[in-house]
Amino acid sequence: MGKLPSGEKILSCIQCGMCSGSCPLGYAMDYTPRRMISALRAGRIEDLYRSDAIWLCVSCFNCTFRCPVGVQITDRLIAGLRVDLLSRGVGVPSELATAFERTARYGNPFGESPKKRDAWTKDAGVDIRVVRDGDSAEVLWWVGCFGSYNKRNQKDSVALARILTALDVDFGILGSDERCSGDLPCSSQGEEGLFYELHQKNMQEFAKRKFKTVLVGDPHAYNAFNKEYPRLGTPLPVRHHTQFLADRAPELRRQMRKEIRMKVTYHDACCLGRRNGEYEAPRIVLETIPGMKLLEMPRNRENALCCGGGGGANWLDSFIWQRTRVPLPMQRVQEAAKTGAEILAVSCPLEIPRFEDAVKSAGLEGRLKVLDVSHMVADGMGLLGGT
Amino acid sequence: MKIAVILRQVPDVVQELVIAADGRSLAKDELTYITNEGDEHALEEALILKSRHAATVTAVSVGGDEARDALATAVAKGADEALLVSIPLERRGDNHGLAAYLAPAITSGGYDLVLTGVWAADQLDAGLAGLLAVQLSFPYVGGLTAVAVEPAGNRATVHKEFPGGRLGVMEVSLPAVLGIQSAEQPLRYASVSKISQAKRTMQVKEFRGSLPNVEGVHVSRLTKPEASAKADMLQGDASRVAETLVRILRERGLV
Repeated sequence: MGKLPSGEKILSCIQCGMCSGSCPLGYAMDYTPRRMISALRAGRIEDLYRSDAIWLCVSCFNCTFRCPVGVQITDRLIAGLRVDLLSRGVGVPSELATAFERTARYGNPFGESPKKRDAWTKDAGVDIRVVRDGDSAEVLWWVGCFGSYNKRNQKDSVALARILTALDVDFGILGSDERCSGDLPCSSQGEEGLFYELHQKNMQEFAKRKFKTVLVGDPHAYNAFNKEYPRLGTPLPVRHHTQFLADRAPELRRQMRKEIRMKVTYHDACCLGRRNGEYEAPRIVLETIPGMKLLEMPRNRENALCCGGGGGANWLDSFIWQRTRVPLPMQRVQEAAKTGAEILAVSCPLEIPRFEDAVKSAGLEGRLKVLDVSHMVADGMGLLGGT
Repeated sequence: MKIAVILRQVPDVVQELVIAADGRSLAKDELTYITNEGDEHALEEALILKSRHAATVTAVSVGGDEARDALATAVAKGADEALLVSIPLERRGDNHGLAAYLAPAITSGGYDLVLTGVWAADQLDAGLAGLLAVQLSFPYVGGLTAVAVEPAGNRATVHKEFPGGRLGVMEVSLPAVLGIQSAEQPLRYASVSKISQAKRTMQVKEFRGSLPNVEGVHVSRLTKPEASAKADMLQGDASRVAETLVRILRERGLV
């Protein structure tokens, strides 16, 4: 165990079982986190390698957040075991392996052409500058893979572009020089080699440009830049778009043009909330919208239920479904609907397709809409014409 | 047992293909390459055979500089030897020429089995495997989804897929060339750090022969596919769509 990163910390586990009880998929694991540690202590690592439990983790960080002795269960224990499994090459769920290979080859997990990364900007309705080698911008906006390529997320990228333009922010994007930040699906999934490669490539691109702030829409990119890149000696001044907009809440309020008389509940993204401690910014931003009523789900903030897509689990959906049969996003949209909310507001791009699919499967279509915080703000500001 | 796997580097169609000024080739500046998908399955099948028998697997990568990366991935996955066969892009798609070029490299290796994908994304003429078998005077069978070698090592039993969901089980004497359609298991994953390690440590042998004066196919012109008639989307509510649909089916004499 000493060989695993932070292995000595894992030795301090008191076997209280808080992790296993907190895990939203613990019921489907033959080895829950507590049992994993117990097996490691007994020298039975081979038993763990034969178990599916290592691939059932959705990186929700409940266990890490609640561990009374501070064992880094998600980022070190699970990721460390995955590093070992990946180096053996056999038994890696094939959807995830494909996502890794595509990320290594094309810089995005979808296998889309890197040259088409900024193709979405053509229909944005506002001018979006590509910051080239040697250029500068006050705000360098890291659009991310989902925001760049996923048709549904592109609408939210357009919304954010229009808000930035309306706020008169000097911003630009990296265009086809941007690659996956590496946090998803690499670092917490154990593909450290791929993460280092992406880190190196991305830092080279950052170094060619001058900027004061890196703006991200994906909480996973936020985590990479906020925590993982500094760990490798390259800190970045990063803000999630909800934080960036919360800093400008008075200005947003001044620019609001229409009332949105809707009941809204907000889903805390694991990666922004439990993993990085940001719970208030998205709520501050939502409250700038006139007429809107914010309701809370019983499980909110640090107790929020995961959408099931974090840490690369977006590419483990069928693997996890075969072993659990109760998709997490389905449970979450039902919780949202029970509050009486008509809109489920989110701050992570993965949650849009995940929750929209779950809304359909749960029979909530027409009753619950899934919208990114930025999209709602742009709507309130009257900026969504023509989208 | 010695197994050779041929890994062809073909243009990656994720990137848009651009036709060069000569009108009969692809613009090389715009191209990136990827290992032919069927050949990846051939490698997986070879590694499965290696796990069952005492076998060495030689990855034979065919292409330009990019072929070295394919070798590193193959070694990271478990190939024992790496052989680089350099050939310019314009000579790769003609399998008559490619088979004649590869034959001496394969002959000198003394392989019991030569595996490759049953087809390649850039091939112009019949599959490489069959043409290579002709050059080597080996038997050939293609479209395979499983290979089992008998303990004596002189015969293999193979599964061949036929149209209509039929499966053929047949025997082939070794040495033989096999065209793989898909491996028995999903492709294994080689982590990025294992690939970089292989890049640093692998010994690459290079085959240099003279390009044979064989041409199976001559390309006279390349064009983008022409768009045919676009589909009509029926608009309106369900009953209106149903009415229109019935009318169209009647008009065409289909019902």
